[in-house]
Amino acid sequence: MNRRQYLKGMAGLTALVAAQIPGTLFAMGPDDKFTIAQLRYKGAYNTRPTALRRLTLEVEKRTSIVSAPKIPVVKATDKALYEYPLVCWSGDEAFDELPAKAIQGLRDFLLSGGLLVVDASDGVVDGPFIQSVQRELGKMFPNRKLGTIPSDHVLYKSFFLVDKPVGRLAISKTMDGIFDQDRLMVIVSQNDMLGAWSKDNFGSWTFACTPGGDKQREMSYRVGMNIIMYALCINYKADQVHVPFILKRRKWKVD
Amino acid sequence: MFGSYNSGDVLWLGDWGTPWILFFLVLGALVCGISYYDLRVLPKRKCWTLVGLRIAVYLLAVIFLLEPAIDLKNTSKVKNQVAVILDGSISMGLPSVQQQEKTRLELIKEAVEALEIPATKTDDDHIYSFYQFGDALFPLATAQSAESDAGKSDLATAIESVKKTYAQKDLGGIIVLSDGIVSGAMGSRTRRGEKLDEITIAELGRLKAPVNTIAVGNADSFRDLAIVNVAHDDFAFVHNKTSIEFDVQAVGIKDTDLNATLSRDGKVVQSRLLKIRKGKSNYKLNFDFIPQKIGKEVYSIDLPHLKNEALFENNHAQFLQKIIRDKIRALQVVGRPSWDERFLRRHLKQNPNVDLISFFILRTNQNIRVAGTDELSLIPFPTDELFQDELGSFDLVIFQNFNFGPYDMRRYLSEISKFVKEGGGFMMIGGDLSFSNGGYSETAISDILPVELSSRTDTIDFRPFKPELTEAGLRHPITTLAFDPVENRKLWQELPDQRGTNIVLNAKPEASVLAVHPTLSFGGKPMPVVSISEVEEGRVMALTTDSTWRWGIERVGEGGTSREYQLFWNNAFRWLIKDPELKLIRIENQVDEYDVGAVTTLSVRVSNPDYTPAPNQAVKLIVEFEPFFEGEQVEGGTKQKSAPETLLSTKVQTDAGGLAQTKLALEKAGRYKISAESRTSSGLLKDKDVVIALRSVSEFRDIVPRTDLLKQIAETTGGIFTQLPNSKPAVELLPSKSIQVNRRKVIHLWDTSVAFLLLVGLLGLEWILRRRWGRL
Repeated sequence: MNRRQYLKGMAGLTALVAAQIPGTLFAMGPDDKFTIAQLRYKGAYNTRPTALRRLTLEVEKRTSIVSAPKIPVVKATDKALYEYPLVCWSGDEAFDELPAKAIQGLRDFLLSGGLLVVDASDGVVDGPFIQSVQRELGKMFPNRKLGTIPSDHVLYKSFFLVDKPVGRLAISKTMDGIFDQDRLMVIVSQNDMLGAWSKDNFGSWTFACTPGGDKQREMSYRVGMNIIMYALCINYKADQVHVPFILKRRKWKVD
Repeated sequence: MFGSYNSGDVLWLGDWGTPWILFFLVLGALVCGISYYDLRVLPKRKCWTLVGLRIAVYLLAVIFLLEPAIDLKNTSKVKNQVAVILDGSISMGLPSVQQQEKTRLELIKEAVEALEIPATKTDDDHIYSFYQFGDALFPLATAQSAESDAGKSDLATAIESVKKTYAQKDLGGIIVLSDGIVSGAMGSRTRRGEKLDEITIAELGRLKAPVNTIAVGNADSFRDLAIVNVAHDDFAFVHNKTSIEFDVQAVGIKDTDLNATLSRDGKVVQSRLLKIRKGKSNYKLNFDFIPQKIGKEVYSIDLPHLKNEALFENNHAQFLQKIIRDKIRALQVVGRPSWDERFLRRHLKQNPNVDLISFFILRTNQNIRVAGTDELSLIPFPTDELFQDELGSFDLVIFQNFNFGPYDMRRYLSEISKFVKEGGGFMMIGGDLSFSNGGYSETAISDILPVELSSRTDTIDFRPFKPELTEAGLRHPITTLAFDPVENRKLWQELPDQRGTNIVLNAKPEASVLAVHPTLSFGGKPMPVVSISEVEEGRVMALTTDSTWRWGIERVGEGGTSREYQLFWNNAFRWLIKDPELKLIRIENQVDEYDVGAVTTLSVRVSNPDYTPAPNQAVKLIVEFEPFFEGEQVEGGTKQKSAPETLLSTKVQTDAGGLAQTKLALEKAGRYKISAESRTSSGLLKDKDVVIALRSVSEFRDIVPRTDLLKQIAETTGGIFTQLPNSKPAVELLPSKSIQVNRRKVIHLWDTSVAFLLLVGLLGLEWILRRRWGRL
């Protein structure tokens, strides 16, 4: 028996083994597909129920990322929180202080590599929800201030070249964030991005985007996809090899 | 009475000081004056006769008081010392001028003869001593016993030694016979064509004796091409440019263009054009190149051999350079963004010793394109640059859930296989685009993987599982999360589940399986999950799962830390890049370059898997010798590379400290390739090393005589410079400064009866005359 015959024999045997394995064979398993978890807390945590799934579907269509069909809901005190390194915290009203255990859980999660995306749906700059979030983030990271994410941050070029972090609204020109060294671990948007991504069961957009209409919605999707790319690739697009291409496309002068 | 004495002095033994002498003179003058006053009435003749007698008596009395004596001596001259120092360096074995039969040493021996130094080594004024200088100064019985065998000619040290030897003696001069090629401090302080430096002048001045120099050889009659100096760093960084500078001296060569080559293991790495032009003898050249492999490299710089050259040995120079890595250069190629990729990239990026180049496939042809390229940050996948042009610059290539098919990469797979075989590291990490699913079966990659692949492309088991360590995995550095095997196994059992695995077939015979799947098996053997193998010079690791990232974050959620994740990956990278610290067997050599004839101790250290010393281990040591390949021999001919010769093949036993040693004599110039093997509980351990032995040819680097230097030495010290063979040697030596007293005799002039009678007689005469001339 030569090597080729041996391998063919082995392949046949493997086929027998593989045939008995149930489920799809085009990913390592549903648990390992990409998804965003929704953070559950005492308050209106799920203001845009379809938004995250719409975003992950869009990500799967436009990028090589394979997404999971469900959006898990996790609490800050759940062990399951650590299975989903990207968590979305949304709301449209003030909420009560989180328990100390939840604060500690979120803090540990974020410092061990998690990313928390905060999106306000109330349409008010520094509204009640954002104030509540800022209060909790202050307890989580007393020595790290929420600051503006600079416009040249890799978040704005992780997949699409984006200038403004718009959502359903465009009331805030920037996003804020908290860094762990050079890594963003908290991103705060006040433009109701989830509102721009939401669709009803008939496939219609749930909310109109103002003032930019559908173009603004597209831009909002791009911001959302950039956040996912950033979560999965971190500062990949800041690597030197990408810089000349990006600068050229932004029509900046390249030396 | 004075027959045997050849010199004498008058001594005054009376212990009278100057005041007393003055007092006696004044007293004498008073006696004279009073006597004259007393006798002035007498006729002048009588008066001055009596005064004269009284002065004579007084002077005689004073002389008695001063106790005069004669110091008689028999003396002879003391001869001073003359050091005749002959240059015994190997350059003295060369002909004195081009194509002359006599060597430089023979000519200076003839010059010593011409000095006509008596066989007794002594003449009326000097005692001659003969010395040879080279590495140090040592005495010779005769000048004829000098030999040209020293690797150096350190004239400065030789003159200093002469000075110390004759510190308490009278040095009449030094006679230096040399070709002037001095390699010690003096040679480095005063380069060819330069004036003597101030330090040398000061040192020569302290001798207070002339240094006569007799120069042999003539620069004008030479024809030689030589590498006189090579400047290189002892180590260089792999994949970083390194420079080697070297100086060439061309003497007596007409205008010509030559090629200087840099070779590694007999293969020419680079060449440089050397344009030799009339009126210029010194040339500076350099090689800039990028080392591609980590380890020790033996380089050779070679110049062609020209007809009628005085010497060929100096047309070559060998040296050894250690090639080390400054940073681990890792290429991470990812088929699609995922948490597994993200945590690994983050881990590598946080390591300051890793220079990571990542390429992620962010969009494939199956994805919808709703935006133009200008609106995206995507860049083309630079396959040519990565896998053809720059592949050799990486230490490690990681294929993480990456399928090559869509990117027309099949042609590069063989490049990666070659990269591994030449010493690179390669790792395949699982995912739905990896292993068989990535289409790697029956490719050049499957040839180097430690596991066999199925030809099916849908071979994934997505059930959660915990990898189980094998016996090898319990102790292997990659999977050692704790040194204690029991604790190690426990740690692995506590790690979060992996969510699925690629299905692979058996491990290849040469592979080591470190962790297996708990339920999947093939051919009765558990399916490998973590497996490794050494492929020629390189190393390969296969990890069939894509969820080790969960060890980094889920473990924190369970109350632990990400330590195990970090440790596992750090260990894996260190093993893949052959981190010397992870070697369980190490040849330990403190020195890489030896002189021919040196005896070194070969040391091999063997460690247990937990890095404690492994005592009583048999170690097989093999030393192979390979002479330097010195390229072109003579115009038109080529020297063949010699086959390696086994010098040593022995077994040694490690001691309690895990150290095994044996002696090795490096008797010939060339490479000594050392290999050590030991079979331990970790398997067959191997290590290799290389050292070189070099002929001491510093004397041969610059063989053109330096008569100018010798001339300046003579002129500075008041000696005579002689150029052989045309002039008769002449020397200037100091006369002897010392006299030796052989015998001595002191004769007291006052302590005699004659002197006493003379005194009494003079007194009596004065008394008689005074009475007769009517004075009382």
